Amino acid sequence: MEKRTVDMQIIGDWVEPGTRVLDLGCGQGDLLAYLMQTKGVAAVGVDLDFSRIAACVRRGVSAYQGDMTTLMRAFPERHFDRVICSRTVQELAEPKAVILEALRVGRALTVGFVNHGFWKNRMAMLLGGRKVRNEVYTTAWFESRPANPVTIADFEDFCAALGIRVTHRAHLAGNWRDPCPFLPNLLAGYALYDLTRA
Amino acid sequence: MTDDVEAAPTAPAAARHLAPGDVGLVAPRDYTHAADFTFRGGQVLPGFTLRYETYGELNAARDNAIVICHALSGDHHCAGWHSPDDRKPGWWNNLIGPGKAVDTRRFFVVCANVLGGCQGSTGPSSPNPATGRPYGAAFPPVTIPDMVRAQRRLLDHLGVAAVHAVIGGSMGGMLALQFAIEYPRLVRRVLAMATTGRESAQAIAFNEVGRQAIMQDPAWNRGDYAAGEGPRVGLAIARMMAHITYLSDASMDRKFGRRKRRAAEAEASAFDVQFEVEGYLRHQGQSFINRFDANTYLYITRALDQFDLEEAAGSLEAAFAPVEAETLIVGFTSDWLFPPEQNRALAFALLRAGKRASYAELATDLGHDSFLLESEELYALVRGFLDRPATPVP
Repeated sequence: MEKRTVDMQIIGDWVEPGTRVLDLGCGQGDLLAYLMQTKGVAAVGVDLDFSRIAACVRRGVSAYQGDMTTLMRAFPERHFDRVICSRTVQELAEPKAVILEALRVGRALTVGFVNHGFWKNRMAMLLGGRKVRNEVYTTAWFESRPANPVTIADFEDFCAALGIRVTHRAHLAGNWRDPCPFLPNLLAGYALYDLTRA
Repeated sequence: MTDDVEAAPTAPAAARHLAPGDVGLVAPRDYTHAADFTFRGGQVLPGFTLRYETYGELNAARDNAIVICHALSGDHHCAGWHSPDDRKPGWWNNLIGPGKAVDTRRFFVVCANVLGGCQGSTGPSSPNPATGRPYGAAFPPVTIPDMVRAQRRLLDHLGVAAVHAVIGGSMGGMLALQFAIEYPRLVRRVLAMATTGRESAQAIAFNEVGRQAIMQDPAWNRGDYAAGEGPRVGLAIARMMAHITYLSDASMDRKFGRRKRRAAEAEASAFDVQFEVEGYLRHQGQSFINRFDANTYLYITRALDQFDLEEAAGSLEAAFAPVEAETLIVGFTSDWLFPPEQNRALAFALLRAGKRASYAELATDLGHDSFLLESEELYALVRGFLDRPATPVP
C-alpha cells in the first residue's frame, strides 16, 4: 500500500457523504477524485500549476488555478462543509492566515502533515548536523521551496493558542500506516487533524 | 480579435487545405428562420438568416454537437478553407479539425455568424423588406441573448438534441455563458476564454471611441448608406484602435519594436508611415473595411457593452443559478481587455452557485488574442475537458 493511500482513507472516513469539499493544494486531484468516487462529494480543488489544473479537468474534478487565499476570500462563511489541507501546510508562507481563512469558509478543516519531530528527523539533525534528506525531504536546502516544517507538538500548541477545537486526530507511525498512540511527537511520521472553530 | 495573432504554419501553397488534421475545403450554408423573431428589446424582425458552417457529422444520438461562438469581428468560417487559393484558413483552424483538440472525427462542429453580423447573417446591412434598402439604424438593437436565441433555432433546424460543448473567446465566451444560462438542459459543457460577465469602464470606453470614429465620419449619415459605401475612414480608425487592445505591449514590441520602414518606402510628409507598427495598423484598418460593415460594428459593440449578467439577474450567482453545464473558464495573464480578474470572477460565481466549474490561467504575452494561441498546453486542456463523457450532476 502506498504511503499516500492511508491518509486518503483516514480523510475519507472523516468526510460526510455528499458534502461540499475544498482541497487546498489539490495537485492532480487524486484525493478529490477518490472522495468523489467513495463519498459522492461536490469537490473543488485549488492549485497554482496549470498542468495540474488540466489534469483535474481531465478527470472531472473542478479546480481553480491560483492563490488559495484569494479563492477562499471569494466565498461566504461556511460555504464548504470541509476544507482539506493535506501535505500543504508546511509549504505555506502564512499558515496561520490560511488556516483561519479555511475555518471561516469551511465548517471543518482537515490538516495532514509530515511530523518534523519524528525521531529519525531529529537524529539526522542531531548526528549529521545537516538538513534532513530522505524520501520525504527529498531536496537539499538550496533547491527547496521555503518551508515551515512543523511538529505535532507545534501544531497542538498552535490549536490551543488560537482556541481551535480538535475533533479528530490520527497519528501514524513511521511507515505512515499503523496507528501511533504512544509519544506521537517522537514516534509518529505523519499526523492528521480534524478541526473546527471553537 | 485580430486577423493574425499567430501566423499559420506555411505549407506549400497549393496543398495547404489538404494538410492532415485540417477539415479541408468547406462551404458556408444559410439557415433562414421564416417566422417573426422578437428581440429582447421588443422589436420584431420578420424572420432572419444565419450563415453557418459545420464540420464533422452529427451522431445517431444527436448529442455530439460543439458550438463555436465567434468574437466581435469574427465570423462563421472558423476552420478549413473556402478555396485552395485562400491565403488563410478559418480563424480557429489550429483548434478545430480531425485529431485536433476539437476533434471533428468525433464532434459535429457548428459555427454561425451572429445575428446582427455582416458576413451573411441578417444584420443592419441586410435589406429591410419594408423599404428595399439596408436596415441601417432601423435594425433592432441586438443583444448577446438575442444572438444566442437565434442560434438555438439553427441548432433545432440541424436536429441537435444536446450540445456537448459551447466554446468561445472574448464575445464568444459571453455567448457561450449565455447559452448555458438560457438553455441549461441543452448545454453540457461551456468553455469560455478571455471573457467577462460584464465589461469594465475601460472596455466600454474603447468601444465608444470606435463608435465615435464611425459616427463622426460624414459618410456614416446616421447609418443610412448604400452597400459597399459608408464611413470607411471611421471604421478603419475604429479597427486600428481596437486592434491595439487585442495585443499587448510585449507582443507589439516583439513584432514591431521601433523598426522603421525603409527610406525608399518612406513618403514625403513627416506624418506618413514611418514605423512598421503604423503601416501594420493602417493595413489592418484598410483590410477591415473591405470585409466589415460599420453599422454592425456599432450594433455589436453596443451588445458587448450592454451584456451584464450581474445586472440582469441581481448577482452573478443568480445569473448562473440555472446552469447545468460543467464550465471551464480560461484567462490569460497578458489580457488587459478582459483581464484574468474578470475571468476569475466568473469561476468564483459559478462555484458559489454550487456549479461544477474550473479556472485555468495561461501565462502568455499576446494580450487578449491569446485565446487564439497555438499552444500545446491549451490544446491539452481543451482536449481533456471535451474528451471525458459528461459526468452526471452529483
